[in-house]
Amino acid sequence: MHFHARAAERVRNPVLQKALQKAKPLFVGKRAKGVASLADDGLDFELLRSTAESIRNRVLADLDVWLDIFETRARVSGAEVLWARDGDEVARLVVDIAQRYGVTKAAKSKSMLSEEAQLNEALAAAGIRPVETDLGEYIVQLAGEAPSHIIAPAVHKTIGEIEALFAEAHGRPEQPRTSADIPAMTQEARAVLRQHFLSAEMGISGANFLIAETGSAALVTNEGNGRMVTTLPRVHVVVTGIEKIVPTLEDFSTLMRLLPRSATGQTISNYVSLLTGTRREGDQDGPEKTVFILVDNGRANLLGSAWQDMLRCIRCGACMNHCPVYFSLGGHAYGWVYPGPMGSVLTPLYTGIENALDLPHASTGCNQCGVVCPVRIPLPKLMHGLRETQVERGLRPWRERFALRAWAWVARRPALYRWLTRGAVRYLRWLVDGSGRIRVFGMAPGWTDGRDLAAGSGKTFHELYAARKRA
Amino acid sequence: MSLPDNTAARDEILDRVRRGVARQDFEVRRAAAEAALTAPTRGPQPHMATDTAALRARFADKAAALASSVESVVRLAEAPAAVARYLESHGLSKQAVATAEVGALDWTLAGISVAVRAAVDADTVGISGCFCAVAETGTLLLCSGAETPATVSLLPETHIALVPVARLVATMEDAFALVRAELGDMPRALNFISGPSRTGDIEQTIVLGAHGPCRVHLILIGETS
Ligand code: SF4
Repeated sequence: MHFHARAAERVRNPVLQKALQKAKPLFVGKRAKGVASLADDGLDFELLRSTAESIRNRVLADLDVWLDIFETRARVSGAEVLWARDGDEVARLVVDIAQRYGVTKAAKSKSMLSEEAQLNEALAAAGIRPVETDLGEYIVQLAGEAPSHIIAPAVHKTIGEIEALFAEAHGRPEQPRTSADIPAMTQEARAVLRQHFLSAEMGISGANFLIAETGSAALVTNEGNGRMVTTLPRVHVVVTGIEKIVPTLEDFSTLMRLLPRSATGQTISNYVSLLTGTRREGDQDGPEKTVFILVDNGRANLLGSAWQDMLRCIRCGACMNHCPVYFSLGGHAYGWVYPGPMGSVLTPLYTGIENALDLPHASTGCNQCGVVCPVRIPLPKLMHGLRETQVERGLRPWRERFALRAWAWVARRPALYRWLTRGAVRYLRWLVDGSGRIRVFGMAPGWTDGRDLAAGSGKTFHELYAARKRA
Repeated sequence: MSLPDNTAARDEILDRVRRGVARQDFEVRRAAAEAALTAPTRGPQPHMATDTAALRARFADKAAALASSVESVVRLAEAPAAVARYLESHGLSKQAVATAEVGALDWTLAGISVAVRAAVDADTVGISGCFCAVAETGTLLLCSGAETPATVSLLPETHIALVPVARLVATMEDAFALVRAELGDMPRALNFISGPSRTGDIEQTIVLGAHGPCRVHLILIGETS
């Protein structure tokens, strides 16, 4: 299904619309408060952004060097480092490791990269049970769906839908639920997932950052599932992108003043873990084996290209939380792993520009995303660049190309242009009804389904200009 | 156990990265990067008072804002009685698992039976110390180790941490400086903990006690000035 069809379906889904309308003001309000709190400590958000931007740029400028240093230091600390060119290779490696260690169940902490690799499907096909343990991920896994948001995977689900999923999965009758029952439902999921943490032989996590200085994975979570899957199972596999490196613990500290605030408005997330190597001598807990899988899957090709800025992304979700298009459609309409403005840039770049022609156009150009992005990624500019590339490669549909050519032909003939525009504005004037507005736009009534069009004066710009000059 | 041979993927990816980076002198740049790692620089720092009284007030404030409960005692030896009072007032069990650093206190006298070991699923109360604590955000830093298993602060429903006032630092950067100075190498896990575990995944409603502890109680230890 194409973006247009998916989007149309989403806009008409009242349950989804209800869930989205509820979430948006919460996301926006929390972030605004979190960012404002920086001033209490005399911290300047813009200065922090610039610092974060330059930390990420510094890494990308020498990524070959930083990867080499990270790999060396991670190995010295006792971890193994593997590399994956694409999603299939990630899946093959994880299944291979799981089989070598006799794994029958893998407990997963949230990892968007594992969605890129369709890792759950690959594990299941190999007879290994993947269990998502982030509550939101658990909900979408029960529903057989993909996450619709990078930090709030089940934001599109209402409490009623979640209750139905829990009742079925946990083998109990469905009950009527209100928001007062949310703690009880969370408890129920906690009890079920606790057993999985304790019995899984493998834990799979992403990494919010890789610290070059120490060869560590940094994991930022609120629920504590990230700590569980990296502490209890015998084997821990970290699946993460090659661009996630930051040089030092100081650089990490700077990014941690921005990431939780931008994501959920928190000054800090409940659990921030730096994981280095494996269980040490005398340790009573922790994995015996830690394996990093550093994934390319399209990232390296962005280096040195017009899209390099996108690699600075720290996956905070602020761009989608402030996007009017995202909150009209929800994340699934975007069709691949990453939704919202960052997805509209990443999806075409990672899956092929010709495979996601609509996404760079799924923007009102309001630049809310560019304003909130903590690492100053110029998202609208990147979307415009992708639109230009589509035109240069002749990827736009023939009707659009024909229309533009026709317009260019007319625009070079002033007399004809004036005659046509005069006709058009007179037509618009004629559409104005008793309310003084255009309530049904004749040729394309869809435009006025949800709003009226303001009435024009019935005169073209040229006519108004001439009249004003005479006055 | 050995893992699959993976050098082909590694070479191909690094080759692509090198072409993207498009810079010569790998060794020179690598040496410069290594050198930069030995002299890390800090980003913008919060302006905050750093005398002990200020750190203590700020830590208590921020920790409470993140839904931990906080109390103070003057001497470490008073901690077991404080823990006992807390457990009683919340109707919690007096069986606890503890890390070795705090296991030596006289828990029996306070009527608490303490097992010094890693935690298991059945443990309902976990007692730990901390490596240090960060006043900026009201955060504990716990290091994993033979004496300080990470599970003690993770599996039990209630986590109680003893926080010596002398171990309060201002920022996360200060905490890392202390790790470098006192531990040298990174432990397997550095866990920054800020209150009870939480989730907002059902209709964006915040619920405490997702997978980790539902309750975090902090006992500050040291003279009040
Ligand atoms: S593009 Fe910017 S705002 Fe969007 S997720 Fe990435 S870092 Fe956050």
